[in-house]
Amino acid sequence: MARFADPHAMQPSTPGRTRTAPPQLPDDFWSRPRMRTYLLFDATGIVYLLVGLVALRVAWALKSAEAWNALLTSFANPGYLLFHLIALVSAIFVGVRFFRLFPKAQPARIGPAKPPPRPVLHAMLYAAWIGITVVLLAILGGVWP
Amino acid sequence: MADSPEARGGGEMRKRTFVITRFDPDKDQVPKTQTYEIPCRPEWKVLDALNFIKDEVDPTLSHRWSCRMAVCGSCGMNVNGEPKLTCKTSLADYGDTVEVAPLSNFPIIRDLVIEMDGFMDKFKAVKPWVIVAKEKAAEEGTYRQSPEQLAVFKQFSMCINCMLCYAACPVVAKEPDFLGPAAIALGHRYNMDSRDEGAAERNEVFRGEGTVFHCSYANECSEVCPKNVDPAAAINQAKLNAVIDWATSFVVKRGK
Repeated sequence: MARFADPHAMQPSTPGRTRTAPPQLPDDFWSRPRMRTYLLFDATGIVYLLVGLVALRVAWALKSAEAWNALLTSFANPGYLLFHLIALVSAIFVGVRFFRLFPKAQPARIGPAKPPPRPVLHAMLYAAWIGITVVLLAILGGVWP
Repeated sequence: MADSPEARGGGEMRKRTFVITRFDPDKDQVPKTQTYEIPCRPEWKVLDALNFIKDEVDPTLSHRWSCRMAVCGSCGMNVNGEPKLTCKTSLADYGDTVEVAPLSNFPIIRDLVIEMDGFMDKFKAVKPWVIVAKEKAAEEGTYRQSPEQLAVFKQFSMCINCMLCYAACPVVAKEPDFLGPAAIALGHRYNMDSRDEGAAERNEVFRGEGTVFHCSYANECSEVCPKNVDPAAAINQAKLNAVIDWATSFVVKRGK
């Protein structure tokens, strides 16, 4: 046992009649499989912050052809390739987790409208994700429009 | 022999070691652990082993239990670090050593018994009862509800207040003011009830500090819930409802 929990967690508004021991958490709670997945999910926020900074750098490079070419050259760097690979894996990980949890967060009904059944909603999310990815790839690849 | 495991319908006895958290408020500053080695029947649940220790080995061990069939919600404990109803948790799923500790995130009164008054305080905060502006007269008959209307909230009404979700929630561990999964799920259950007219009051609670928007959707509560209430779903549905309620309050005037 270790004292990770806040000492005031779940304290009653009026103290009880006996002395209590402070709230505990198992020593290894953070390394348990489900909690590890959740913490990894949270940690992807750092990757998105870095992706945001790279996006700013891309926008900055639009000022001249030289800057743009320098940017493309730097993107060929193995470090950058690795970073983009990590960003891709993070996006897929977050997407899959979000799509798993999103359907059940839908209210039973919003006014007269009823959301579709969870499996349908699930399929719709994946279809939209794949569709948008294909469209973006087509635009970036110069195939469409 | 009448007392042999075979005579009682059991199979091979197996020796298991139980590492149990002990805390005596009169003597101990912090909880410690005590080890018991006992013979266990193959069909035993964790609670059976705890009762055996209490009855046959160490009568000073304190733990809560009542129904033995996962409906009273009394026997929630951490078994090998996971919040579990001990009456529903088979020893067959564990190895030779089993750690039993009080539920995480709760003050400990004694041994495996946690202080649940803080939980009850949080429960009251969501006004868990049907609120109606004006009670119907008895002659007007009962409040009727269709199966479809019941289906909207039935899942969220199955909570047995076992508090496993509070032990599993990472937000409860760090934010003492967080209302927590079961209380929010119960508030949401009444908001979804067709007979209830108190959604505006509860949504005001939900929009306050330490409620639905403090949930980071770790989904741990739903993973450990023994009755498939899915509190994480309730909390995240309540988030949207609280926002819709806030937005419509500008358009639709509400009387007191």
